[in-house]
Amino acid sequence: METFNSFLGGTITLFSDPIGILIFFGGVVGGMLFGAIPGVSMLTLAAILLPFTAHLSPEHGIMLFSVIYCTGVYGGAITAILFNIPGAPENAPTAFDGYPMTQKGQAGKAVGAAVMCSAIGGTVSAVIMMFATAPIANWAISAFGPPEIFALVFFGLAVASSVGAKTFWKGWLSILAGLLVAVVGLDPVGGIARFDFEMPYLLAGIHFIPTILGFFAVSEIFVQAEKKAQGSFKAPKMGVEFPTLKELIAHKIAVVRSIVIGFFCGILPGIGATLAAFMGYNEAVRWSKTPKEFGKGKMEGVISSETANNAATGAAMIPLLALGLPGGALTAMMVGVFQMHDMEPGPLVFINSADLVWVVFAAMFFANLSIIFVGYLETKTIINLLRIPFQFLAPMILLLATVGAYAVRGLTIDVLVMFIAGVIGFFLRRSGYSVAGIVLGLILGKIGEQTFAQAMQMLHFEWSGYFDRPIALGLLIAGFATLGGSIYGAFFKKAK
Amino acid sequence: MGKLRAGHIIEASLWLGLSLFLYIYSFEFDKEIEIYKFGASAWPRTILLLIVIASIGQLLYHYKVGDGGSSGKMGDAVDDGSQDIANESGHTGLGWYLSTFGLLAIPFAYILIPEWVASAMSIEDTGVHIIKIISAVVLLGIFIYYLRSNFVGGMLALPIFFAAMLQDMGFYALAPFFILGVMFLMGERRIKPMMQVMLLIYAILLGLFVSLLYVGLPTGYIHPFYDFGTWIVTILQ
Repeated sequence: METFNSFLGGTITLFSDPIGILIFFGGVVGGMLFGAIPGVSMLTLAAILLPFTAHLSPEHGIMLFSVIYCTGVYGGAITAILFNIPGAPENAPTAFDGYPMTQKGQAGKAVGAAVMCSAIGGTVSAVIMMFATAPIANWAISAFGPPEIFALVFFGLAVASSVGAKTFWKGWLSILAGLLVAVVGLDPVGGIARFDFEMPYLLAGIHFIPTILGFFAVSEIFVQAEKKAQGSFKAPKMGVEFPTLKELIAHKIAVVRSIVIGFFCGILPGIGATLAAFMGYNEAVRWSKTPKEFGKGKMEGVISSETANNAATGAAMIPLLALGLPGGALTAMMVGVFQMHDMEPGPLVFINSADLVWVVFAAMFFANLSIIFVGYLETKTIINLLRIPFQFLAPMILLLATVGAYAVRGLTIDVLVMFIAGVIGFFLRRSGYSVAGIVLGLILGKIGEQTFAQAMQMLHFEWSGYFDRPIALGLLIAGFATLGGSIYGAFFKKAK
Repeated sequence: MGKLRAGHIIEASLWLGLSLFLYIYSFEFDKEIEIYKFGASAWPRTILLLIVIASIGQLLYHYKVGDGGSSGKMGDAVDDGSQDIANESGHTGLGWYLSTFGLLAIPFAYILIPEWVASAMSIEDTGVHIIKIISAVVLLGIFIYYLRSNFVGGMLALPIFFAAMLQDMGFYALAPFFILGVMFLMGERRIKPMMQVMLLIYAILLGLFVSLLYVGLPTGYIHPFYDFGTWIVTILQ
């Protein structure tokens, strides 16, 4: 009952404020649009908006990002289905069957299935999140100190390294590159300048906003520019017939299975939604009576993948809000929104900012529901939006990113850093590295070093102190086991 | 050599060289902290050590497996096609890289050359501005000449060039040319749509950020760019 009352309170707060309503619908439509426009993604929108959230209240800023997260994960399915370009890694399995459906003239059915299943997966996940996050947060206050947080960061990075790059080693090199960038500036304990090369700009560290903008928005434009030069853009066949209710009900088991998989994968601090989508898809193939039809345009493939990745969105908020640990690039940006308002996500948010938490929960619930209605209308209009040639979109995106990078601190050098990061991201991506890994390393690097230093001071610099803390020890062992498994896989399993 | 290619060795050398350079540099801040016995350099050195291990691991992996990725569908999750496009378009050879890095060097030349010239000739204020304008024109000419054979390289370098000039010439004066440049490099050649889209994007950006949100964009400080930027801001705000 208390949960319901809090949810009701959050809903009233959300919809009684005209600016809140505007931001909510802006986020719903923006997330879907950016997710659906080839060459950009919800991450592009989030990265562009990040500096401007400083001018919003913390409630509005976090709510906007959580709404973009929910609708953007769905929006990425549209490009996956229509162009074989996943809006984000978590939409990649959607393309396995979604794109063949488009080629068969069934784009409407595939998009319709994605709309319905994203909404179902996300809404169920949001409800579970409302009940589960607070108990986890209460427990975390007493059980999670700096050693546990550091161990969780280590585990999260170990999980993230195994997903996200062409090889395990490139996954780790991506994360380590991010950790290295995070080191630049003053050290968190003694305030000693590191890798500043006597440049005053570097004393404050490399700001994560220009870096994120560069690695995601700018490098994506460069990749698309190369595709344009190569002539790889292909216009899809359009079909606007939606799936019938009977067709959707026939896949109810796949939906339930993907919700369970998606939610549990989403809790993992790593790239949960990606893992969720792939596991959802793989399990659908494994349990199917006609596995050979997958990959050739089977609707169940789209349903399994899209239900699972949206089910992971609510779950991904649990480690973020309860423990302050981002599970992926967008939740990492949410940490940035918190930090811009001098707040830290974590257990104390539930005590100090309970209103904020419930506005976010309510917004995520309604954002997932709205996917059905707005998604249906948007799908009809996206057909026209997709006709905007990319050469006209690209300068707009680059200039939006320029304004976003400059607005952070009013420094033109931040714009330069962003474009250099874009070029580096372009070369790293074509070499099989993971830009998401770099950003995760950059964000978690600061938390990791700080909590490591606090943990070692707390344990009087005795490593054996970890043996007295079962959660921290368990997470470290899990992290090392993940690493060991990945190293074994890297050398002894057959390559693709 | 196993299945190693020259590219694999160059890639590993870059990581190892970077690690060595930064390790040597870390002695600059290898200072003790009273309350923290590991000091300021332990964390970055650990990261550098892990980079060395990972790059050697990557080299051994290439030695054994070659260019193959990790097994299973998971590797496809991040395969955005950029590697395939690079291979198909032939943008993987030494010539392309040299041409691209040559284009990328031009914006940095703009940052450094006027300062060197002004310092060598003891020029200040207006003289520096003139040198900057002359450098911009000359380097832009070189940039346009060389990008004819490498549009992708030009696309990578143009935003950096734009960012390098932003401080001096301002957003308001440069943005229209930047929009046209990006459209051109993306393959658009029709003058009328280019002009229409440029005006539309410029109007949207200025209307949204300058008029509505009061974001102070860089006006530059070199005349007449500075005058143009402040004139626009005065009109819109």
